[in-house]
Amino acid sequence: MGEVIVVTSGKGGVGKTTTTANLGTGLAKLGYSVVLMDTDIGLRNLDVVLGLENRIVYDIVDVTNGHCRLKQALIKDKRFDGMFLLPAAQTKEKTAVTPDQMVELCNNLRQEYDYVVIDCPAGIEQGFKNAIAGAEKAIVVTTPEVAAVRDADRVIGLLEAAGIKEPQLIINRIRAEMVKHGDMMDIDDIIDILAVELLGVVPEDSLIVVSTNKGEPAVLEAGSKAGEAYRNISRRLTGENVPIMPLEVNEGIMKRLRKLIGMK
Amino acid sequence: MNKPESIREKLNLMMQLSPPHEVKDKPPEIYPQLYFESALDSEEMEAKTRVSNSVPDESIIPSETSSNVIPSDKTMLIERTLRSGQSIRYDGHVVVMGDVNPGAEIVAGGHIIVFGALRGVAHAGAFGNKNAVVTACRLSPTQLRIANHITRAPDDEEVNPRQPEVAKISGDGVIIEKYYPGWDRGF
Repeated sequence: MGEVIVVTSGKGGVGKTTTTANLGTGLAKLGYSVVLMDTDIGLRNLDVVLGLENRIVYDIVDVTNGHCRLKQALIKDKRFDGMFLLPAAQTKEKTAVTPDQMVELCNNLRQEYDYVVIDCPAGIEQGFKNAIAGAEKAIVVTTPEVAAVRDADRVIGLLEAAGIKEPQLIINRIRAEMVKHGDMMDIDDIIDILAVELLGVVPEDSLIVVSTNKGEPAVLEAGSKAGEAYRNISRRLTGENVPIMPLEVNEGIMKRLRKLIGMK
Repeated sequence: MNKPESIREKLNLMMQLSPPHEVKDKPPEIYPQLYFESALDSEEMEAKTRVSNSVPDESIIPSETSSNVIPSDKTMLIERTLRSGQSIRYDGHVVVMGDVNPGAEIVAGGHIIVFGALRGVAHAGAFGNKNAVVTACRLSPTQLRIANHITRAPDDEEVNPRQPEVAKISGDGVIIEKYYPGWDRGF
C-alpha cells in the first residue's frame, strides 16, 4: 500500500509545485514508483515544471467524469519509468471535482504505487479541500516570511481539523546572509511558531528558475544547492536519517581576509 | 512533381488514443460527448453552441458519410486571441484572427486556421475527418491532433517556424509543410 502525501501551503508562490516536482523526481530516482497529481484545476503548472505539458491528452477531470480510464490519463515521465503525472484540467474550474471523487481516486492509486504526491493549489477553498480529501500525510511548505508563516499556521490548523495529524514542514527559499543579518526569520523562529516537525530546508537558488522554465527538476542537477536539499528531503521521506544541510553564507574575499587577521 | 523543399520531417511521437487494434478509422468516442456539453467562455460563442445543440442526435455519432464532408460555410470566426484555459469547440471549420496561447484549445470538426501563432492545442477533424488540416502563421502547438492522430514536437528540437505552415495527415502520420498558395496542388 502506498502513501498519499499532499503538499500544501496556504500562501501562493512559496514553492508547492516546485517541491512536488522535485520530491517526486527524487523519490523516483531512489527507485520508488510515484504518481504526481496536480489538483490546481484551471491553473495547472505541474506539467510545465516537469516538462510534460505537450504529452497531455486526458486530465484528472476526465478521469473523475469517467471519460477515460485512469491509466489513459497518467503520463509516464520522460526520464524515469516509475514516475507518472496525473495532470489537472486547464479549461475547467475547481468545482469540477468533489472531495469524494478525490478520495476514490487516491484509493485507486494507493493500491499500485509507492507514493502519491498531490500538488495542492493556493488558498483554503474548494481546491484545497479537494486536494487534502484523499491524503493521509501532509507537507506544509513555507518561506521564511511573516505572511507565509501566518498562512501556514492557518493551514496546519485546517489540516489537523481534517484529520491529517502531524504535518511536516519544508522551509523554502531561505537566504543564509539575510538570516545572519537578522533580516529574515530563522529556522528556529519558524518552528517556534508552527510547532511541527521540520522535514527540510531549501536554500534560495537561481537554478530553480532555470529548471522550472526548462522543465527539468533541480534534483537532477548535481551543482544545485536546492537540488541537493530536495534530494535529502526525498531520502528523509523514505525514513532515512539525513542531517539538515547547514546554512552556508557566501563570504566575499575581504570578509575572509578580515577573519583570517582576526578582525570582525 | 516538385515537392516543396522545406517539408519539416514528421513529428516525432505518434500516440494512439487507444491500442492499435481498436482504432481503425473511428474517431475517439469521447469527443462528441465532451464537445456538446462543455461551456465556452465568451458570450458570443454561447449562441453558436446552442444552435449546435439543436442538431439531431444521429449527427453526434459520426457516420461514414458525414465525417468527411463538412460544408465550407460551416465555419466559425474568432476575432481575438485565445488565452490559456479558453476552449473553442465547433463541429465545422474554425478560423482565428489572433494567437492561440499555450493552455488554450480548439476542437473542430473541420479545418483549423490560425492567423497568428498557434501555441496551444488544436484538434482538427475531431469527428474522424482525416482530410482536415491545421494551418497557422506560426505553427508551434504544444500538441496537434488530426482525427485520431496525436503528435507533438520532438523533445530536443527548438520549434521556431518563420513562415506559415500547414499540418496534415499523410500516409501513416502527420507531416508539416510550408504553406503557400497552391501548396496542396504541388506547385
